Amino acid sequence: MKNKGKEQLIAWGFMAPALIVLAAFGLFPIGYAFYVSLHRWRIKQEALIGLEHYVRALGDPQFFAYFLLGLISIWAASRWFGRRRWRHRRSLVSVVVYALLCAVALWLMSLGLPGMLESGDGRLYNGFKVTFFYALGTIPVQLTVAMMLACVLFNSWRGKGFFRVLFFLPYVTPVIASAVVFRTIFSPHPSSLANRFWAILGMEEQRWLYENKSVVFLALEGLGVSSCPAWVNEWFPSLALVSIILYNIWVYIGYDTVILLAGLSAIPAHYYEAAEIDGAGSWQVFRHITLPLVSPTLFFLSMVAVIGTFKAFNHIYIMRTPGARDTVDVLSIAIFDQLFEHHDAGYAACLAFILFVAILALTLLQNRALGKRVFYGE
Amino acid sequence: MASEKGPPKWTRWGSYAGLVLGGIAACIPFVWMLLASFMTRGETLRKVFVPAEMQWENYLLAWREADFGLYFENSLIIAVVQVGGTLLFSLMAAYPLARMQFRGRDAVFACILATLMIPETVTMVPNFLTITWLHRQSPFAWLDSWPALTVPFMASAFCIFLLRQFLRALPGDLWEAARIDGAGHVRFLFQIVLPLCRAPLLTVGMFTFIGSWNALAWPLLVTYTSKWRPISVGLQQFVSEAGAEVHLQMAGAVIATFPVLLAYFLIQREFTEGISMSGLKG
Repeated sequence: MKNKGKEQLIAWGFMAPALIVLAAFGLFPIGYAFYVSLHRWRIKQEALIGLEHYVRALGDPQFFAYFLLGLISIWAASRWFGRRRWRHRRSLVSVVVYALLCAVALWLMSLGLPGMLESGDGRLYNGFKVTFFYALGTIPVQLTVAMMLACVLFNSWRGKGFFRVLFFLPYVTPVIASAVVFRTIFSPHPSSLANRFWAILGMEEQRWLYENKSVVFLALEGLGVSSCPAWVNEWFPSLALVSIILYNIWVYIGYDTVILLAGLSAIPAHYYEAAEIDGAGSWQVFRHITLPLVSPTLFFLSMVAVIGTFKAFNHIYIMRTPGARDTVDVLSIAIFDQLFEHHDAGYAACLAFILFVAILALTLLQNRALGKRVFYGE
Repeated sequence: MASEKGPPKWTRWGSYAGLVLGGIAACIPFVWMLLASFMTRGETLRKVFVPAEMQWENYLLAWREADFGLYFENSLIIAVVQVGGTLLFSLMAAYPLARMQFRGRDAVFACILATLMIPETVTMVPNFLTITWLHRQSPFAWLDSWPALTVPFMASAFCIFLLRQFLRALPGDLWEAARIDGAGHVRFLFQIVLPLCRAPLLTVGMFTFIGSWNALAWPLLVTYTSKWRPISVGLQQFVSEAGAEVHLQMAGAVIATFPVLLAYFLIQREFTEGISMSGLKG
């Protein structure tokens, strides 16, 4: 008994330094951020102001309440539809209830969202929008191309090691250095690599990282459409953001490829042998063997990528230009500015906490939506 | 896997072309960085690819003009402290999690993993306030000095996770044999387990090194003089000040890249293997 107590003591003693650091700088900040966000807080703690910061950030509480109710009814609808008892015999009534709940959700959201956008902090919503563009532009492209490269590398019998080292280079290169290089590659100067490449294709020079107009707007302009409605600029990523997205893809494709390659190598060979005996085509093999068996790795990479999207800061900070205005300002940039430029810790903590809640919701959603489709074997 | 029959010839060539194209795309920025770092100012403004003459003095100029010597030294010290601390603390935490029985083990591990889900963006603001508080309370300086730059990153959930995976796979007889010889946990960990952990420690160390070398937002926040500023901040300021001097920027980028790529090439086998492991279920 005494021995067991000693074991416990040793175990906790070993873990103590790491646990103290992780608790103080990893978990405690969540609660602390919320506490700080309830105060006016510049250099030092000032008056308690309750939820005032949240109203300033998210907008009129009335609209936010509508939005929240909308979210709750979406959740209720998905719960209703997903009930185990109903899964096999969905009656008309249950479908009608589901449709009703969805309609109510949409109606509530359409009531809430425009009001929130109007009365809330433009930088916060712009941050969400840009982060969304950024995630949509990077994750699917990155994973698809990496999957293709990994399959090719896996099937090739030579040069695997060489390409693995090569593809990994962008990932290990210091972000600061490679971002500075891409800054000159995507500079608006006629001698920049991007513009030279563009000239080879016979296109006009672009302003790349200095361009705040959306890519769709520029494409339409190039095609000769002179008057575009303003929403074309609003609702598509700017060329500056697309340049940054290209940089991000360049960095992470190699990393994804190497990890997927490890995932592919872990698939037992007898599955492929069985498929060959059954005479399966290469697409069928990919669809029914490779994809399901590599899905845990894909899921892991998509999680890493989503978290990475919210983390993205260094390269954007370096590649952002006055010309791009706020079209590349993801949430992390907005939060940093709030603290670094405006010295408003209270409001910055409020934005950080909102971001935390959004990430939490997104992670749970991703787990629910994708987690079930991931095949973990027996 | 490559069976004798294999896919038709054209797909094989096509996929090789894809690989080579990918390789070229991965390399172009590096090649451009190197080439441009040897150009004259005039050459960077004309549409030149290869400099007529190698301008070695660009490096000297960038080094002197941007005070890279100081920043470089700072970054190295910060990296050594941070990597050393992270390796020690993470190994010490991973050992009981992998090989000892105690109450609350799974809960502790779950809490550690939970910190992986929280990006630095969220923790940055409160951590800055925590460090400011520590700075005021403690007898030595935190802000604008090495503790603020290293202590918050002295343990990492990712490192603990990777090391735990590795430690769990070690054979159980080792501990039995060590105990018969009269070794306690401390001696067992540092004399027997530690030398066996070479590969995962290299991986984790490299990972921490890259992270420390990359840090930008945090050093901008917690330093206000150049005394402790790392090279990332130095390069960022150099770039935003120097304006059009592309050749000097590229020379600075090469200088900042060099130590990391050197370390990578030295341990690339262990590192790629180790990182690959992280995506597999364990």
